[in-house]
Amino acid sequence: MDRESCWDRDVIEQPDCPEIGPGEEDLLVSKRQRNLEKCCDCHRFLSDLKQLRGEGNPLAPVLASFLAEFRRQKNQIQSLVSFLDSKTLEIRFLHELGSVLQSSVDLDEVLSVALTAITAGKGFGMNRAFLLLCDRKEGMLNGYLGIGPRNLEEASQVWNEIVQNDMDLQTLAQNFRLNKLSSERAKFHDVLEQLTVPLSNKEHILIKALDGKRPIMVEGAFQHPDVPPELARLLGVDTFLLMPLISRNRRVGMIIADNFITHRSITAEDMRSLENFGFPVAFAIERASLYDKLQVELNRVTAAGKKLKEQQELIVRMENMALVGRITSSVAHSVRNPLMIIGGFARSMLKNSPESDPRRTFIESIVAETRQLEGVLDEILNYSDSLYPTRDFWDVHQLVETALHDTADTLTALGYATSYVPGADLPPVYIDFKQLSYCLRTVLQNDIAGTGTDLSIVISSQRCEDGVVLRIEDRSRYISQAELDRLLVPFSETHDLGAGLGLALCKTMLEKHGIPFAVQAEEHDGIHYTITLPTRKEEQT
Amino acid sequence: MSRVLVVDDEANIRLLYAEELKDEGYEVVTAASSAEAAEKMQGTTFDLAVLDIKLKNESGIDLLQKLVKERHDMPVILCSAFSYYKDDFSAWLADGYIVKSGDLTELKQEIARLLAKKALKAKAEV
Repeated sequence: MDRESCWDRDVIEQPDCPEIGPGEEDLLVSKRQRNLEKCCDCHRFLSDLKQLRGEGNPLAPVLASFLAEFRRQKNQIQSLVSFLDSKTLEIRFLHELGSVLQSSVDLDEVLSVALTAITAGKGFGMNRAFLLLCDRKEGMLNGYLGIGPRNLEEASQVWNEIVQNDMDLQTLAQNFRLNKLSSERAKFHDVLEQLTVPLSNKEHILIKALDGKRPIMVEGAFQHPDVPPELARLLGVDTFLLMPLISRNRRVGMIIADNFITHRSITAEDMRSLENFGFPVAFAIERASLYDKLQVELNRVTAAGKKLKEQQELIVRMENMALVGRITSSVAHSVRNPLMIIGGFARSMLKNSPESDPRRTFIESIVAETRQLEGVLDEILNYSDSLYPTRDFWDVHQLVETALHDTADTLTALGYATSYVPGADLPPVYIDFKQLSYCLRTVLQNDIAGTGTDLSIVISSQRCEDGVVLRIEDRSRYISQAELDRLLVPFSETHDLGAGLGLALCKTMLEKHGIPFAVQAEEHDGIHYTITLPTRKEEQT
Repeated sequence: MSRVLVVDDEANIRLLYAEELKDEGYEVVTAASSAEAAEKMQGTTFDLAVLDIKLKNESGIDLLQKLVKERHDMPVILCSAFSYYKDDFSAWLADGYIVKSGDLTELKQEIARLLAKKALKAKAEV
């Protein structure tokens, strides 16, 4: 018989075999390889086999049977190879994804990677994806981030960019995070805002998918009995995939993915792949969220540590101040008694000496100097006293009335008229009563030389946003603002110790405790003092 | 004549108080410590006591508490170099409080006020 095919020749030429194409020239000299790869599909070989059967060769049916089985198995192997290739690619992708996810504890970075992976051509190649996160505290599933084009034009532009740049997943995700995260969030703001479902709404399809811990492929969304019409309208697609994100049996969130632009069908294989992808993503999201919480706690602990250190320093400072206070008190006590004895006996001598006694001038000097020194001593003791304040909540009216009572005799003797206009419904103020009483007494009886004729002092109290404002309007004393400012500086050269130091001490004392003290010289209205008393503990330093 | 007990560990202060208060017409008995004060109070009635708040090795406040307990009808004036003793609760037992000064006007006024008050009270009781 004449053979049509070349299966029995060791070496053939290109035209002898219609199956061998360019690049397969090695098959021309390899009979065995050519038989396995090409002959079983060659119509000439099949024709020869048919002819053989026609000739009644008993091997022909056996050969035909072997050939059919060989071709079936060959197709199966090719299909398996193809499947293996796709799985290899998927594993490679998941490995890359896992590496990126494992290395990040930044929530935005994790989310960028996750959504990029879903929508990138190198990943799952979906057109669009929305991420929703569970807010356990509020009991809500909330839209958090969206990715993908909103229309065909944008899709073409984005996909062209991706093709031109040929970036790997990590680079794509980084690019997304740096350049597009905010804009994508803003772009899908309207959709994300409406993708909010209470976790308690067990009938909602999103919650069903979440509770079932399995992805759900939704087809025919507009007619689907479980899909709320508003959700179908919001997404604008008939088919979409719901992929719950579950980590250690805890509901982390949900990814909604669809092919909004291409309308490519989502296969069961896509769903399985995405399910595999969901586990590391959920884990990474939960880890990043926990890391965020940890960071917040760490910041809190750091702040507490800092505050503790400050408190320790404050305690040391207070101990030092207390020591200074004790030393000052001790010195003052040691000085007070001799001073009192000198001044007392000088006064006694003055009292008992006749007006004509020439020594009276000297004795008067001793009396004046000891009085001056006693004034200085009082200021020092008041200052050392101010080093360790004792604060508590006090009634403002009681404070003012006590100060007015304490100074009544002195002021009346000098011809002053005082009055108090109390504010209504004042809250208690958090102050050192003793120090504030001292300040009020000092303001009321300060020794600024007055040139006014209206010897009146009016105190008023009023509630303000930050506490209670005390205003003292002293209309008897006129002084320029520059002179007044100098008086408010302790130990400034404009006055001697014991003369006017009290006002400066008041300012120092109040400011040290964070109580604003303003003094204003009014050209025709005397001096106005304003003290803002705190009503809360935190307002004082 | 009202009898005033002065307790102070400083001899010169006792002398000053004694001289000045005698000039004011009071009979003055002085003591340097609470033990001496107790001794001088034995069998003697005092109309008023002036106490230093800080005695040598002892507290005037303790003596104040003792006096208030034993002689509750005798007014007591506390004298101190420190104004903040006014805010010490235990010092509130005293009827008067004076910051020590070479100018004894305030002390004298306080003694006069308390003695007048005591006399008024005694009159009312009669």
